[in-house]
Amino acid sequence: MAAAGARILLVEDTPTQAEVARALLRDLGHEIRLAESGAAALAQALEWRPDAILMDIELPDFSGFEVMRRLRTEGLESAIIVVTAHGSVNHAVEAMREGAVDFIVKPYAKARLTVTLANALEKRALVSELAEAKAQLSRDRVLGFIGGSPAMQAVYRTIESVAASRANVFITGESGTGKELAAEAVHKASPRRQKPFIALNCGAIPRDLLESEIFGHVKGAFTGATDNRLGAARMADGGTLFLDEIGEMPLDMQVKLLRFVQTGSFQPVGGSKAERVDVRLVSATNRDPWVEVEAGRFREDLYYRLYVVPVEMPPLRERGADVLLIARHFLASFAREERKAFRAYAPDAERALTAYPWPGNVRQLQNVIRNIVVLHEGTRVEPAMLPPMLLRLGAPRGLEPEAPPPARVGPPRTPESVPRIGPESVAPPTAWIEPAPTPAPAETAPQAFEKLAVVERRYIMTALDHTAQDIPRAAALLGINPSTIYRKLQGWKAEDERG
Amino acid sequence: MSVIDPEIAGQLAADLPREDFVRILRTFEADLGRLAQQLEAAVANGDQEGYRRAGHSLAGAAAAVGATRLERVARIAMDHHNPADPRALSVSVRQEAAAALVELAALADNPPISR
Repeated sequence: MAAAGARILLVEDTPTQAEVARALLRDLGHEIRLAESGAAALAQALEWRPDAILMDIELPDFSGFEVMRRLRTEGLESAIIVVTAHGSVNHAVEAMREGAVDFIVKPYAKARLTVTLANALEKRALVSELAEAKAQLSRDRVLGFIGGSPAMQAVYRTIESVAASRANVFITGESGTGKELAAEAVHKASPRRQKPFIALNCGAIPRDLLESEIFGHVKGAFTGATDNRLGAARMADGGTLFLDEIGEMPLDMQVKLLRFVQTGSFQPVGGSKAERVDVRLVSATNRDPWVEVEAGRFREDLYYRLYVVPVEMPPLRERGADVLLIARHFLASFAREERKAFRAYAPDAERALTAYPWPGNVRQLQNVIRNIVVLHEGTRVEPAMLPPMLLRLGAPRGLEPEAPPPARVGPPRTPESVPRIGPESVAPPTAWIEPAPTPAPAETAPQAFEKLAVVERRYIMTALDHTAQDIPRAAALLGINPSTIYRKLQGWKAEDERG
Repeated sequence: MSVIDPEIAGQLAADLPREDFVRILRTFEADLGRLAQQLEAAVANGDQEGYRRAGHSLAGAAAAVGATRLERVARIAMDHHNPADPRALSVSVRQEAAAALVELAALADNPPISR
């Protein structure tokens, strides 16, 4: 900024003066515009946002000082150098008081003008950098994420830097750290944002269906292939294909993916012609990809193709104050959804939330907060409402729950009210719902409860019926990962076959 | 005695390519014609503020190219308390302007230091 290429506004009503300034600045490489009155200066400065203004004081309509006052009111941050024929101390003092960075007396030599302008531009650049740094520090909601911790700032910077390119992105991080959110952020910040973002969980799809899911199939390719079907690669054409849990991909499928990454073309299952698409690949895994390569579970050549720009999602325990920002966000959001009055956390509850290591990361925190909102009443979340694991591991002494009766203990909830339970949740959200001090009458309990496994199966089957057996949609309805449904279906099928 | 300050005008001629310096002189010449007319019109109409403003602009233009004698004359017009006769002053402005242009043109042909 302090070098060539800055925007300089000359505010000068005498053409000779303006021509002299313009000529002296000509070979510095700046873009120069002229305003010949106070009103023109205001209009140009606000519209063009110059880096520096060379401001004459005596203008035909009003004074340069008045222009400076109005620009300051408008929040303009240009470096202003007052240029005047009066070299008096009073003028200098007034110029500085009105926000000028320097003061130059006419007539001036080229060297004096050049140095004054360079200093002003450098100062302006520093002010801008400082403002940018402050803005960066205060960014706590970026790209769909919540949090302004240094670890997340690094993630934001990487995503913003890589978004515009075509480079493949590889996201790593523990379960529940927001890898899919990061993949979506890359897509949304990229020039491909108007095109599709297609996410595929490689770990959730049976091995024999994975090729068809990615590359599609033609009618008759295999039993049950009654129609041509587009794969994720075709659907993502022009956009982004997100391959989650890429480490779960079988080796033979990795070969096909490698060919696709190298050539941009693929052959649908059962097809005879190669198809070409323009897709940006974002992959993710919660494992260390290089360890997978060394263990022979992931192809090294594919690793190098995909691991172009790594993004590491930090675990929640390394995100400091982000825990509370996220917890407050979830509290407000779930309270609104559940029509509850919760507005804040008690200080002790906040301390416990902050101190807990959150092995299940944001997803675990989300589940905990949703369950607090669902199971309790009040305007403030008290320590007694927190799960015991938080109080044992995270809270200062003396925070053990005194009498935390859930607000309601009753029959299983309807599918609509079932809290979102992530498949990788380390702590199932209902784990801390222990018998309340005032339990329901003993004789009613057996009738009130069914086995959880029975309820679970019924809920999932109901959701599948509701979505015409569309597993991803059913999973979305239940707030779980599709892989959970695939896994459950396989398990139930095996159980049924056993008898 | 020179009507221009050789330090200011000479520095300008030395700092700039000849075409830039010549462009400045042409602009200055146009300014002089316009501002001298404005000054004379203000004198004829008894327009004190117009007289002061024209004097200010003339002084600024003259100062920019080192036409110091013209600048000094023009500054008299800016000063409400100066008892100088405006009609006589406007004549002086014309004379000093013409003299300054002659010296500046000569400077353009023979700049003191080659850029």
